[in-house]
This record gives sequence, C-alpha cells and structure tokens, in this order.
Amino acid sequence: MDDRTRVAAGIAEQLQGLKYDQKRLAEIAAEVAVLNESVRQAASSRLVYDDEPAAFASLMERGGK
Amino acid sequence: MSGDDLALLDLSELADRIADGRATSVQTTEACLARIEAWQPRTNAFLRLDREGALKRARAMDAEIAAGKRRSKLHGVPMAHKDLYYRRGELSTAGSAIRRDWRAPFTATVLKRLDAAGAVELGFVNMAEFAAGPTGHNVHFGHCRNPWDGARVTGGSSSGSGAAVAARMVYGSLGSDTGGSIRLPASACGVVGIKATYGRVSRYGAAARSWSLDHVGPLTRTARDNARMLAVVAGHDPDDSTTSEKPVPDYEALLEGGMSGLTIGLALPHALVPVDAQVAAAVEAAADTLGRLGAHITKATLLDFTALYRAAEVIVKSEAAAMHRSWMEKQPQDYANQVRTRMEAGFFIPATQYIDALRLRAHFVREFLATAMDGVDAVLLPAIPFPLPTIEETDTEKSGGPATLAMVARFTGLTRPFNTLGLPALSVPCGFDGNGAPIGLQLVGRAFEEALLYRIAHAYQGATNHHRKVPA
Repeated sequence: MDDRTRVAAGIAEQLQGLKYDQKRLAEIAAEVAVLNESVRQAASSRLVYDDEPAAFASLMERGGK
Repeated sequence: MSGDDLALLDLSELADRIADGRATSVQTTEACLARIEAWQPRTNAFLRLDREGALKRARAMDAEIAAGKRRSKLHGVPMAHKDLYYRRGELSTAGSAIRRDWRAPFTATVLKRLDAAGAVELGFVNMAEFAAGPTGHNVHFGHCRNPWDGARVTGGSSSGSGAAVAARMVYGSLGSDTGGSIRLPASACGVVGIKATYGRVSRYGAAARSWSLDHVGPLTRTARDNARMLAVVAGHDPDDSTTSEKPVPDYEALLEGGMSGLTIGLALPHALVPVDAQVAAAVEAAADTLGRLGAHITKATLLDFTALYRAAEVIVKSEAAAMHRSWMEKQPQDYANQVRTRMEAGFFIPATQYIDALRLRAHFVREFLATAMDGVDAVLLPAIPFPLPTIEETDTEKSGGPATLAMVARFTGLTRPFNTLGLPALSVPCGFDGNGAPIGLQLVGRAFEEALLYRIAHAYQGATNHHRKVPA
C-alpha cells in the first residue's frame, strides 16, 4: 500500500468509520489527489483572507460587478 | 383540429387557443395522453402517469375559462416533471431504488407556482438516479430512450423531460441542472432548456444533488415557451434563502428586440474540450445565422476550464457524500455502482478544500466576465461537443472501462463550468448529426440576463426550423 492509499485508509477507518478494500482506496486516493491539488493551486494564486463563500451570491446579485 | 395536431402545437400557441376557446384543456390533455400511449413504449419517459387526475384538473381549468377566469399564460397546459419534485403525500423517487416508495412531506415551490398558474400535471418523468448521470441511464426504472433514435442516449439527468417534450407528450417539463442536466437532454433531444442564474428559481422541494450547484429550470419546444414557463416558476422564495429578490422580467415581452446592436462571442474551445467537426459546423452555422440577423459575431476566448470543473467536482462530491452518508452506510447495494462510486471521494476531501472551492467561485466569475464576456453580450458554444453516442456505448454499469468512463465524463465538459459560475445558460437545437440525432448550441450570459438569451434564441428560431422537426 503506497503512502497516499495508507492515508485514505486512515481517513476511511479512523475519521469516517467507513471500510473500503485496498483497490478502491487506491482509486479514491488518486481521484482526490487530483481534485485537491487543482483547488489548492487555484486557491493559492487567488484567495486572500477576506474571501468568503457568500461573495459569490453577492456578485451574482450585482450582476457580476 | 385532430388530437395529434393539437399535441404538435407549441405551448404558447396551445395556451392562447385554450384562452380564446379554440381548444380546451381536456382536449389537449387527451391529445397528450394519446401521444404518451404511443411514445412511452419507445422512450420510457414516464415513471408515473396520473391520467384521471390530469383529466379532472383539465375539466376544472376549462370550467374556469368558461367562467371568464384565466389564471396565467399557462392556464390549462399539460406538463410532467422530473421525478425529483416533491408533491405532498405523493411518491417522489429521484429515479432511485432508495426512494422508490418514499412520499414527499411537502410540495415544491415551483410546483405550487405552476398549480397557481393553472398548469395541468400529467405525472412525473424518468431521470438519472439522484440526478447523477449525464446520459439518461437508469438501472432501477429502465433507461430513457431518445425519441429520435431509441438506441441513443437522451442526455441526463433530466432524461424524461427531454424525451417527453421532444416526442410531444407534454408541452413543458421542469428539469434540474447541477452539471448540465437540463442542457444536455435539451441538446440531445432537440428541445430548449435553460439553466437560469443561480438564485433565479427556487430549489425548495427539489431533491438535491448539490445545494450549491443545483439549478431548476424548464425544457420546452421553443424559446418563447421556455420564457413563458420560466417567468411563472422564477422569483424569490422565502423557503430557499439562496433565491434572489430581484423582480422577474416579463421574458416573453422582451423576445422581439432583434439582434441589432448585439455582439455574440463564438467559442469552439478545441484546446479545452475537443469539439467534433459536425458539432462545430452546426454551431458555426448558427453564428452565421445570427450574424445575418444583425448580430456582430466575434471570437470569444475561454480560459482553461480545468480548475472550474474540478472545483465543481469537489463541491458536488462533498455535498453529495454528506447528504447520502446514511444510505451509503446502510444500503450501498441499492445504488447503481457508478452513482455510488462518484460520491465516495467526497468522504476524503478535506473541508478546507471544499470551502476554498466555494470561495473560488466569485473569482472564477470575475475572470470569465473579464475574458470570455469582455465586449460581448453572450457567448455561443456547443452544449454536447460530440455526436450523440448510443446507450450501449455509454453504459458504465456494463462496461466501466476507461474509454466508457472518459466518454461519459466528456458530456459535461462544456456545461458543468457554468454551474460553478452560476451564470444563465440556454440550450437550443441547431441541427442534426450524421446519425440523425439532434445537436444543441449553448448561449451563456451575464447574471440575471435570461431575457437576452431568450431574445437571441427567439430570433434564431425565427430564422431556422430545427425546433420544428418532430421525431417520427
């Protein structure tokens, strides 16, 4: 079991109370790694302290201005 | 006028005939029932049909017309909706085995609004399980089949809505769209579907796929019909705090503005998502048509959608895992494999990544408006970037191989980003592929500018006849 899959196994069993076989854990770990990395990269170049999720709704209401 | 002729009318024309006595709601409902009888075996569009309830309602609507009362421009019009809308005391399956016998404890706001408007409800239509699937497959209730070619997919997740409207079984149908689930079946079935601005239509009483990305909207035969139906269901709802208090325009009254003075940005983003030559040609031809009608056509450059797309995946998976947790623990076998496995990653995404995905949305919107929408009134692009595949080719339950999964994932390549952005996006028929299956274009606008998208689509439909073709 590689490190990433071991971490996924720990999250499943220790944090979420879920059981998956090793093959499935490896698939999930690979999938999550891509998603997390993408968000982390996008966030690192854009987000600052004052960004909050509700800014999206406000922006919509102002027509994007 | 024969029953079949009546069923072939557009919603708007039919409603106007009911209003002035040239048709009755009962005649119209009977015409729809006859179409359903003929088309249901070929499409499996309906999950439940309430024949007697619909006729009773139609008689009541006719009595009101006779007494001089017309509730709205939808008075007496038969419809059927995606089976995730709640009606108090009635079944609402969300296309799932888990909710096969579940009855809703309250009625969805959008159904209440259609009731108040005098619409007639024929029943509820097929959909992807828990709105999780872009093709129209459903292992629990049977796959929905495209009226243009029963071997091909309808698009999903609002599969029954697309099929029922295309086969003229109903005049309009509410779908829901988290990654393309209105626009994909609209494109695949050759009808019009809108994902309005996030917050324009209440989600209260629509079984959720993802609270942050779900959009409710109608599928119809024409842009005018769609405008009429959206105007009834849109607007603030105290039961959905994400809805806007902005007034709802009279979309239909704004249809005739023409194309003069408008700039439309054409985007065929081959570098982002490969666009098939047939699809590209159909969308380019649509741009030419809009240009001849007076619009200025320019090229729109889309930024890389990858981060947008993956942020949407993070949001959907996190929210879906949270809401499905209890069922996934206790009865995982009751999900289709591809539905369950698509949600499982949500248990492993850190809360910080989920929150950052939500925080990024405002940035993504600003970037899109400053680039693709810079100097243009709307962006024109394909809805589904390839010719419609068959049900067999996209059956991930039978063949979960990489090629099948990749093809299914490509369905939402040009639709899901606009759920992250929350901007209005309208799918309109723009041709047919070499197999005779429909091709749809997508028009994307600024927040709450649905009226402009309808105006463009209406002008386009006035100059073309793709939407007039009816599956035989």
